[in-house]
Amino acid sequence: MSESTALDEASARHLLRRSGFGAIDRDVERLLSRNETRGEAAASILDYKPSKFRPRNKDIDIAHNKWIKFMVRNRTPIQEKLALFWHDHFATSNDVVRDPKQMADQNRLFRSLGKGDFRVLMNAINRDAAMMDFLDTIRNSKEEPNENYPRELQELFCFGVFDLDGQPNYTQEDIVQIARAFTGWRTNSKNNQAYLNENRHDKGTGAPEDPYPERGPKVIFAGNSAFGPGGYDFGAAAGTNYEAEIDEVMNAIFQHQDSAGRNTVAHWIGYRLITFFADPEPTNAYVESMVSASNFDTTFNVRDFLYQVFVSDEFYAPLSDPTKRSVKWPVDYVITTLRLLGMKLRSRYQYINGGSYDEIRDQLSNMGQLLLEPPSVFGWDWETSWVSSSTLLARYGFARDVISARGRGKTTLRPERLFDFAESPAVDPEIVVEAIANLLGVGDEFAPASNNRAILVDYLTDGNGGTVDFSDYETRDMKLRGAICLVLQSPAYMLH
Amino acid sequence: MAISRRQFLRRSGFATAGGLMGPGILGNPWMQRALAETIGDRYFISFFLNGGNDGLNTVVPYDNGGGTLRSDYENARRTNSGGIQLDAGSGGGGVEGLDQAMPTSSFLDPNTGAQLSFHPGLQAFRDLYDAGQLVVLQGCGYPEPSLSHDVATTIWETGDPFGALAGSKGWAGRHLEAEYNPTDIPAVTIDNQVAGELQQTGTSVLAIRRLNRFGFPYDDEYEDDEQAKQDAFDALYDEAAANGSGPAVFIGNSGAATAQAAQSYPALHTDYENERGGFSDMYDDQNLGGGTSTTRDLREVAKIIYGTAKGVPNVNSRFFQVHNGGYDNHSDQGGGDPDGRHYRLHREVSAGIKIFLDDIADMANGQTDGRQNLPDKICILVWSEFSRRIIQNDNGTDHGTQGPMFVIGGGLAGGVVGNHPNIAQAVIDNYNGNTPYSQSGGFRSTDIRDVYGTILKNWMNVPQGTVQAILPADGGNPADYWTVQDFDLPIFL
Repeated sequence: MSESTALDEASARHLLRRSGFGAIDRDVERLLSRNETRGEAAASILDYKPSKFRPRNKDIDIAHNKWIKFMVRNRTPIQEKLALFWHDHFATSNDVVRDPKQMADQNRLFRSLGKGDFRVLMNAINRDAAMMDFLDTIRNSKEEPNENYPRELQELFCFGVFDLDGQPNYTQEDIVQIARAFTGWRTNSKNNQAYLNENRHDKGTGAPEDPYPERGPKVIFAGNSAFGPGGYDFGAAAGTNYEAEIDEVMNAIFQHQDSAGRNTVAHWIGYRLITFFADPEPTNAYVESMVSASNFDTTFNVRDFLYQVFVSDEFYAPLSDPTKRSVKWPVDYVITTLRLLGMKLRSRYQYINGGSYDEIRDQLSNMGQLLLEPPSVFGWDWETSWVSSSTLLARYGFARDVISARGRGKTTLRPERLFDFAESPAVDPEIVVEAIANLLGVGDEFAPASNNRAILVDYLTDGNGGTVDFSDYETRDMKLRGAICLVLQSPAYMLH
Repeated sequence: MAISRRQFLRRSGFATAGGLMGPGILGNPWMQRALAETIGDRYFISFFLNGGNDGLNTVVPYDNGGGTLRSDYENARRTNSGGIQLDAGSGGGGVEGLDQAMPTSSFLDPNTGAQLSFHPGLQAFRDLYDAGQLVVLQGCGYPEPSLSHDVATTIWETGDPFGALAGSKGWAGRHLEAEYNPTDIPAVTIDNQVAGELQQTGTSVLAIRRLNRFGFPYDDEYEDDEQAKQDAFDALYDEAAANGSGPAVFIGNSGAATAQAAQSYPALHTDYENERGGFSDMYDDQNLGGGTSTTRDLREVAKIIYGTAKGVPNVNSRFFQVHNGGYDNHSDQGGGDPDGRHYRLHREVSAGIKIFLDDIADMANGQTDGRQNLPDKICILVWSEFSRRIIQNDNGTDHGTQGPMFVIGGGLAGGVVGNHPNIAQAVIDNYNGNTPYSQSGGFRSTDIRDVYGTILKNWMNVPQGTVQAILPADGGNPADYWTVQDFDLPIFL
């Protein structure tokens, strides 16, 4: 219904901001010139060819920096936004795994499978070496099944603890039984491929090597509306093909229905994608309509789901309703700033050429987001949880470093290249504020006659009003850098 | 357009912040000292063991007493390869037993009379217990316990298991909000994020990882312009706080409080290091159990308490949160082996708290301005989002329910409060392997709301009626749930 809505400039900018890292003028122009409608624009953003990139290095710090560098320069920022989303969704930490190669291989899945059929991605994660180590699948044996992975498979990866109506989606018994399907799965140390060691697998035969009659049949989701009172017996469905038990479990998971008879996985993943890309607190109706419009509950196609989100009216609501705005992730704050200002970081340590000269990894860590080392399997806490005295100071410090960057090439900030102000003794400060705010994507918040606009005019004119003297290089450079810094540090710029 | 400007935040404060702390003023009691000897002089530290600490291997049955606790324990925790059973003796072969941390004072389970002991990694807690500075709270939990880290942590942070209150505010946060103004800064989390139990929107809570890196990042290139930039920065944040909408208001308030604290807090570090360098080194001393993230975090708390107690202007933090992770030991948990994961965690936290309390005691030494009573004004609550499964798995433990908490500090009654959970095979068989919540019988659980409420009422002197509003009872739920709100657990003297 909204896909045929004409694409205006404000919507184009919002789409670029939320699907990528900031709206760069030339990208806005390109999007507007090639696409008439929201639908065409959404498709042009989503129909990219997946990259084979993975952030690989034996040193996890350097691997981290490779990903940062890729995010700054690459031309399909939506792909990296999705990689970040999945990295948070399947939050795996090298702090536990301690194998940067396995981390890089997992990271590549988020690109190669990130916008396709969620079932394919989920099945790849089930057998992903980093994940199997992180959540103890490789330590799950028939003698004492380990519940770590089966719990998070339901709680975080597929269902959520509660559905959209606050009803529980699964029981402890479901965790216990699913744990049996994953017993005996190990990884080959040579190629990191997953395989089943049947000697460690709970076959459920009752034979001498499987003496666990008290565990009963391998039945899950008893009473769920998709399966009825008897539930689903994944053991019977797989028979003696024990490797297939995981697949049978996943079949059941993808058919599972929540308390209102909705497909649980589609609505959970849909809800998560919406809270990330569109609305931190969506209504049930919004989630349901997006799932339904994209057939997400039958195809689980992430691209098609996001297409519906990107053409929906709710997606563009923050343009008119500031209460719907979302706090930029630290990575978003950093990458957006560098892209909008046309800057690069220096060396394999990826630092800004000025200010503290701190590595970007340390800066992001202080902002509360160390990639490849999320705080726990729950990933990061979003929205206002990103905001604290400590993380704000880290953002202020990054902004200070950005405006202090001096030197050669793209590692420096060159205000005189970004803006074309006359070297005149009487420049209108309103024009200066407008240009800087527009470049940084917060034109609305610094609109004419707004208090924010007046504060920056006050700053540029040292409280005297009137015009600002840009005839002298030093004053011009000082005030332009200062005003850029203030916008980067402003509450408005923390949001999008 | 009205732009309010905080004069005391001016760049000139760069020099002044240090100046105010100069040796000349150290002997002078500040105005806040008038609060000495009042309840407002007390401190509370929430210490979170993140990941689900195995309570059964924390406070451990040593014998059966009049019940079966030790036999049940040995039924649940194995001794062979991967076993994590703690020996009721002195261990052997490099593995320590319960004798190593056995208190000399009475340490019996009130319900069964069983002799208890601490995990051998908790020898510092044994010392504090014997000194009457530690109360053990057994069987702590809440009705319908969740085995999800996320859900359980939220419940422990809010003290609101059934979502009776709107807004997901922390249990301590609800007290802070009622007690302090928006511009006050009564609490600090030692991390990048504000801890859940302190969260609310009525007053400011700082998140500080390290004080010496908490300063505002000025631009040294154009120093002449810095004043103008600071004025504009303050004005932008005041504007968002006053006239913004949605998340911009929260960011406006947070940034304003941050800019204010960034003037006063960093000097607490240099002040402490200059005056208490010897004790600062103890936190790094590995022979004492220092040199850990726990001791480094607690040292930041010590710096702030030192400044607050001394009356440094614009520093008046009373509530803190510190946490330590790594308790989610589904595998490789280890028993009494000093190199085991759980052992190392226990040693880190107990030894760290001991060093911190020694530091506090030394801060009080020889003082006459009220600080001589500092050790009696500290209360630390140690908690975890759940305990672990009664029966161990291959070489670790899965998620469980109720476990012990510790209250540590001065002014305590000492001893054991509450009952060890029932860990008999019948419980394992009938309740999915975990002790169920109960408010009746010999194995009555200790409700976390009773613990929080007792601290608010008997430590922070919050009136009972106010505490009842902060921690509403489980009305309308089964009779066995938590309904009695007297908040008088025998924790404090």
